[in-house]
Amino acid sequence: MKHFAWAAAATLALALPAAALEAPRKIVDYDIRVSLDPETKLVEGSETLKWTNPGGGPVGELRFHLYWNAFRNDRSTFFKESGGRLRSDKADTGKGWGYTDVTSMKWNGAELMKGSRFESPDDGNPDDRTVLVVPLPRPVAPGETATLEITWKAKVPKVYARAGYVRDFFFFGQWFPQIGVFEPAGRRRQTDAAWNCHQYHANSEFYADWGDWRVAITLPGKFVVGSAGALVSEKKDGGKKTLTFEQKAVHNFAFTADPRYVVVEDVFDAAKDVPKDELARAAKALGRSEAELLAGFRKVAIKLYRQPEHGGFDRRQIEAQKWALAWTGLWAFPYPYAQISIIDTPEDGTGATGMEYETIYTTLSPKWMARWPFDRLYVPEMVTIHEFTHGYWMGLLASNEFEESWMDEGINTFTEFVMVDRKYGAFMTFPPGIGFTDEQSNRVSALTQDHDPILSKAWKYATEGSYGRNSYPQPGTTIQQIRNLLGEEKFWRAFRGYAERWRFDHPTSEDFFDFMRASGDPLVADLIRKTWYGRGWVDFTILTAETNRDDGFTGFDDATKAVNFDPDPKKKEKRKDDKGKDDKGTWRSLVTIARDGDLEMPAKVVLTFKDKSTITRTWDGASEWVKYRVTSSSPLVKAEVDPERRTVLDRNPWNNARYTKKYDGPSAAAKGRTYALHLVEILLSTLWGVL
Amino acid sequence: MSVYATGFRAALRNRRLAAVLWLSLLGSALVAAGPIKALFKVFDEGAFRDALVKGWDGWAFVSFVVTQDRGIAIALASVGAALVVFALLTIFLTGGVLRALIAGRPRPVFRLVVAESAGLFKANLWATVRFVLTAGIWTGILVALPVLGIHKLFKDAAPHTFWPNLAFWWRYGVGAIVLLNVGLRYDLARVALARGEAVNARGAYRVAKRRLRGSRTSAILLAVVWIAIGLAVQAAFTSWGLRWNPQTNASTFGLFVFRQFGFFVLAMARVGFWASLLAWEDTRRPSPSRYGV
Repeated sequence: MKHFAWAAAATLALALPAAALEAPRKIVDYDIRVSLDPETKLVEGSETLKWTNPGGGPVGELRFHLYWNAFRNDRSTFFKESGGRLRSDKADTGKGWGYTDVTSMKWNGAELMKGSRFESPDDGNPDDRTVLVVPLPRPVAPGETATLEITWKAKVPKVYARAGYVRDFFFFGQWFPQIGVFEPAGRRRQTDAAWNCHQYHANSEFYADWGDWRVAITLPGKFVVGSAGALVSEKKDGGKKTLTFEQKAVHNFAFTADPRYVVVEDVFDAAKDVPKDELARAAKALGRSEAELLAGFRKVAIKLYRQPEHGGFDRRQIEAQKWALAWTGLWAFPYPYAQISIIDTPEDGTGATGMEYETIYTTLSPKWMARWPFDRLYVPEMVTIHEFTHGYWMGLLASNEFEESWMDEGINTFTEFVMVDRKYGAFMTFPPGIGFTDEQSNRVSALTQDHDPILSKAWKYATEGSYGRNSYPQPGTTIQQIRNLLGEEKFWRAFRGYAERWRFDHPTSEDFFDFMRASGDPLVADLIRKTWYGRGWVDFTILTAETNRDDGFTGFDDATKAVNFDPDPKKKEKRKDDKGKDDKGTWRSLVTIARDGDLEMPAKVVLTFKDKSTITRTWDGASEWVKYRVTSSSPLVKAEVDPERRTVLDRNPWNNARYTKKYDGPSAAAKGRTYALHLVEILLSTLWGVL
Repeated sequence: MSVYATGFRAALRNRRLAAVLWLSLLGSALVAAGPIKALFKVFDEGAFRDALVKGWDGWAFVSFVVTQDRGIAIALASVGAALVVFALLTIFLTGGVLRALIAGRPRPVFRLVVAESAGLFKANLWATVRFVLTAGIWTGILVALPVLGIHKLFKDAAPHTFWPNLAFWWRYGVGAIVLLNVGLRYDLARVALARGEAVNARGAYRVAKRRLRGSRTSAILLAVVWIAIGLAVQAAFTSWGLRWNPQTNASTFGLFVFRQFGFFVLAMARVGFWASLLAWEDTRRPSPSRYGV
């Protein structure tokens, strides 16, 4: 009975936190010993795993991720989904295969592997070997901790998707037998306790329990190793060395090894590295004092493990990292760990580039981007900011990437473009000065037709493109739309509220929406319903914009007297032609504006007249169209809806304005086609150098 | 007088010849004018008109590329057609330009160029085919094979180390030398055809080979100097044109005229190159020159 009471209390404490956590609930404790043979690419490992049943009932079997089996053969779910290709990298189907084989798993001395089996809970693929199910001789009671001794062998795959090797470069992500998540009822709004242990997919890989890691890595002495943890010991034995790292309060552990790494170190210090104007901006928007905002910051050791030829990026990468630490610290909450490791992948190992793990991530620094004129492209900075900030939206707010990929990638895309645009302005600039922001480059998604709602399981989108659109730019842009609807103060208070409440926890989409809907704005609630759960869209169009001189009453009056015209049929009618006349007098204008799509959005409408005067109206956007009739002393020249482009989801911004025949300003089309013709001539004239 | 001075003098003197070349460029570009006009019509009809007149609105361009994809595809296809037309016109006119320079008659020139071009077109076309084939073969043997070999033999070399760097610079350095060599032989073959020293492409290439023997370096230098002059002209006018950023219709027209002047200067540089090459070739000829610029 006493045992039951303790278990019940533990269950409640673990499953149903009512408020923000100061530290994560520790479910796992890994003590891993691993040795790498860089010649054969073989790995031998053993781990002591302490797993605590979080509650919800006794657990009779355990589930493990064996994610390198995704690279085992061409029948794995990952290979089938990806076609052996990720981004621009292709699998080496010659010798590049990899695997993980668990050779033993013991609990209290009893071998568990005899009854083990592979399952494919997501797609039923009988050939997939990425989820191992291990029945137990007796159930693990709620709150009880099972200590497992596991040994395994693995072969590192040739890198093309996240983890693997190229030459002597190794990146170890999802590399050890990692236990799945047993979710008690109430966790992530689940109604029943159950295992949540997904297969390795082309588009998702993250969801795990919090805990502590101790990892001892044995490998030849020439290797430089960076990891998710802090180095606690180093032992040398002949030509080999064993490095031991520790990290608490994370839910994953990745490391990298390469003899060519040059390590650049720096320290983030909020007193120096938080920009004053950003601090003031955050304090105003969040309604907190600057001292309060700065209080939670700590010094963070930054380690950049870079390729020797990429020295030109040191300052750029460190600055981007410091800015991201400052920004997230102000607008979400301060980074809680003591260190962050930035891994610069080699240019022939781009399969591992742009990957996020807790306290460690990979970025890119292609040498050509350090040279003029490409040094104005802030892509390396953008990748660094993006991957680091994953450490918040996938890491510190440990959402389930498999089931709600937008919570990782989408929120991250939003914070990425806010950060990049604030620091760098135009993210890319091309001659003759056409610059666009990171936000605009993501807003492009809103211009295209869609086939899925934002919210879907990562492997269930219609196409790869639909996954990309609905996980990255579309949710990012839709959050920007919410920001525009709520205004700065309401939005950022809700945003920081969400981040602080769900830190060290496992939020769901609805948890995010709750904070956004809390303001009571019905448009926000409607937007969430129609975009995350539907395919909502909007397009404003100026259907008509006409302006005509009002010559006063014309026709027969009530006394059948001809007014303002000559009824004599023999006399020639005077032409009512505005051309050549001045614009004095009274003008009547009619503007019709339509809203296509199912998203109701308010919009400002601006009517501009020839004398440069303007009339501004606000349309609530509730109806499908609206007409404005205006009488003025100058002809209407332009009608425009949403001139400030607050509706970032507008599918076609080009039809948001229309000019009347009274507009006689310069032609943008003539300018455009003149430059285009010159471009064609430049292209053609290059033939003079050859023919 | 040096071959370069001869070239500059000829470029200034034979302005009508340059005008013929410039007209061929403008005329070819106009093949794409219709689709380009249709594509940019939306600039005057939509929300970005004022912004585009003032400068370069990033969101306008990004959204333009996405929403006008069909119009852009049509325009690109028409640019492809313009490229083919211009390539044929260039091959056609080169014979006439060379004959006009050899004849040393700066005017009247248009009828002469067209008539002489027509007579030489078939042989020049075959010379072009031979140039394309030899360029492909030599690039394959001297550039692609060694580069592939380096990649194959040293596939485990880290990026930006000796072997990958060698492959990179080999690709561009040796590639440029190969193309300059093959290109010069093509040019000299056309000179031989224009001088009447060969009746077909095969014979003309033989003459060109004799001319280049022992004098390759000075010929390559000549070609490089004129390519550099052409690039400088192009870069200068393009840079000025981009900075122009017209904000009135009159200014847009001014920009058009200015850029056409730039292309005319570029055509003058091409005339200068041919005159230089003729003068250079003169110094390697066994018989006295018939060339009088």
